Amino acid sequence: MALIDIRGVSKTYDSNGCVVQALKGIDLSIDEGELVAMMGPSGSGKSTLLSILGAMNPPTTGTVLVDGIDLYGLSVEKRADFRHEYIGFVFQQLQLIPYLTAVENVLLPLAISKRPHREQEAMAFWALGRVGLEDKARRLPNQLSGGEQERVAVARAIVNEPPLILADEPTGSLDTQTGEEVMRLFQSLNEDGLTIVLVTHNPENIRFVGRTIRIRDGRIAS
Amino acid sequence: MRLADISFNNLRRRKSKMVFVILGLAIGVATVVALFSITAAMRDDLQDKIDQFGANIVIVPQASELSLSYGTIVVSGVSYDVKELSQEDVPRIKTIAFSGNIATIAPKLLGAVQAKGAGESRALLVGVDFPAELRMKKWWEINGAAPSREGEVLLGSRAAGVLMSRPGDALIIDGRKFTVSGVLKETGLQEDSVLYVELSAAQALLGKPSRLSLIEVSALCKACPIEDIVEQISGVLPNAKVSALQQAWKARRQTVDQLTNFSLAVSAVVLAIGAMIVLTTMMSSVKERTREIGIFRAIGFRRMHIARIILLEALVLGVAGGVLGWLAGVVVSSLTAPYVAQTAVTVNWNPALAALAVGLSAMVGLGSSIYPAMQAANLDPAEALRFI
Repeated sequence: MALIDIRGVSKTYDSNGCVVQALKGIDLSIDEGELVAMMGPSGSGKSTLLSILGAMNPPTTGTVLVDGIDLYGLSVEKRADFRHEYIGFVFQQLQLIPYLTAVENVLLPLAISKRPHREQEAMAFWALGRVGLEDKARRLPNQLSGGEQERVAVARAIVNEPPLILADEPTGSLDTQTGEEVMRLFQSLNEDGLTIVLVTHNPENIRFVGRTIRIRDGRIAS
Repeated sequence: MRLADISFNNLRRRKSKMVFVILGLAIGVATVVALFSITAAMRDDLQDKIDQFGANIVIVPQASELSLSYGTIVVSGVSYDVKELSQEDVPRIKTIAFSGNIATIAPKLLGAVQAKGAGESRALLVGVDFPAELRMKKWWEINGAAPSREGEVLLGSRAAGVLMSRPGDALIIDGRKFTVSGVLKETGLQEDSVLYVELSAAQALLGKPSRLSLIEVSALCKACPIEDIVEQISGVLPNAKVSALQQAWKARRQTVDQLTNFSLAVSAVVLAIGAMIVLTTMMSSVKERTREIGIFRAIGFRRMHIARIILLEALVLGVAGGVLGWLAGVVVSSLTAPYVAQTAVTVNWNPALAALAVGLSAMVGLGSSIYPAMQAANLDPAEALRFI
């Protein structure tokens, strides 16, 4: 069953007076429980597609349905609620909040929930345990290695138990071995039933995913 | 975790910037508190001096009469329909709503008499209530003593010269014998030529039992406008003409108004500077945190949540600046007031002033953070995370 259904999505934006067409009529379906990699050269439009899929970037044309919900038929605030409930993000370049400890970073998505403090802590430690960092919960990001920071970012993405994880270049700033560890972590989460869509330009990552979508010049190449 | 934890953590992380904002606000609040305390003290001090200076309300019988005086020359006029004041009017003054503000009531009866000591002359006799008169005329210096019983008289310096009388001498006034208890040192005023006796003695001598020529009132006007007191006295004494000594009162009000306006202007400028410091710091803070705010938005924070984080930070800074500013203001005002205002300011731990200072600072902090908070809340998450 398709969790994600994208129809006729194109995206045009203005860059310093030049009109750039980032996406040109994308049609795409991703089933629940899939681990999908979107690959393509720089500027191919893969990150733009990910942000559209993540309810953050309205397409110029087309529709995006996730779990049957038309994302861009929702108001801006409802889309924020949707992101909170449905999506866990892992951003490019280790986007942790530098003044919060690992566990506090993981707790962030729960800060706007009405869950009691104890339950929040239990969820955060469960998520940190899932990525193998329970013992480094009280460290600040700068006291963690690049791989550990990436795993904290994954723990933050799964703490709310969303059905969909979106990751933008999750191994982009990691060495080969650490990158592989992170990809194995995604594999393991996918085995738990999470649908994962990640953007990567590293061909090494293909062996960890179930399907690869190649994007070139704003179109799906294969 | 709560949104407040994010605010507090951010404040802790950016200590130096936050200290800068707190100091900016604290200086503004301290200036306001110090100016407020100093001008309030000056106002009270000025008022006390004016109140002590003498009567500020004069009550005379109502008469349909045109004033026939020019400068110091008085021409006898025609008075008709003259109402009279009586001693019964004095307790009525104390029944007004602002009776607590009445410091002294000094009734008087005036009349011309023939006085004979070693010299002899016609003179102006004024019957007064001596305890009240002495309270009101603090500048009187008496050689001898003020009369303490009905048979004693206090002489103005020029009257004593004309009558060639000294304390202890006998003086015959309209055939009745008095003893000179004291002589006033020269004041340069009309009172130098006057003979002062007890009110009851004057009433007996002039054949006007219970009658009064005028009543002088000294009112303390710190808490209420003098017009209100005048209006209330007119209400209880319909036969009297009650007038405020406008000159002294207007001068006082003008001075106090000038001080207040000056304080308000300086306070407004200093607070505006404080607001600008908060605004620029919060704006740069929001700019620095663009990506962070993008993350918050991406993981589902609503715009309102972002605004709350920023405004809570501003509120904490505002309150901290207010408390610090209030403390500094109270200390600075008590240390500098003796030099600035040439008056002693008592350290004012007034909780209302503290609440006002903290509230004002919180308002400035919050008010000048609304725009940065809105900017943060309206950040496009895709743009903030450079997806576009």
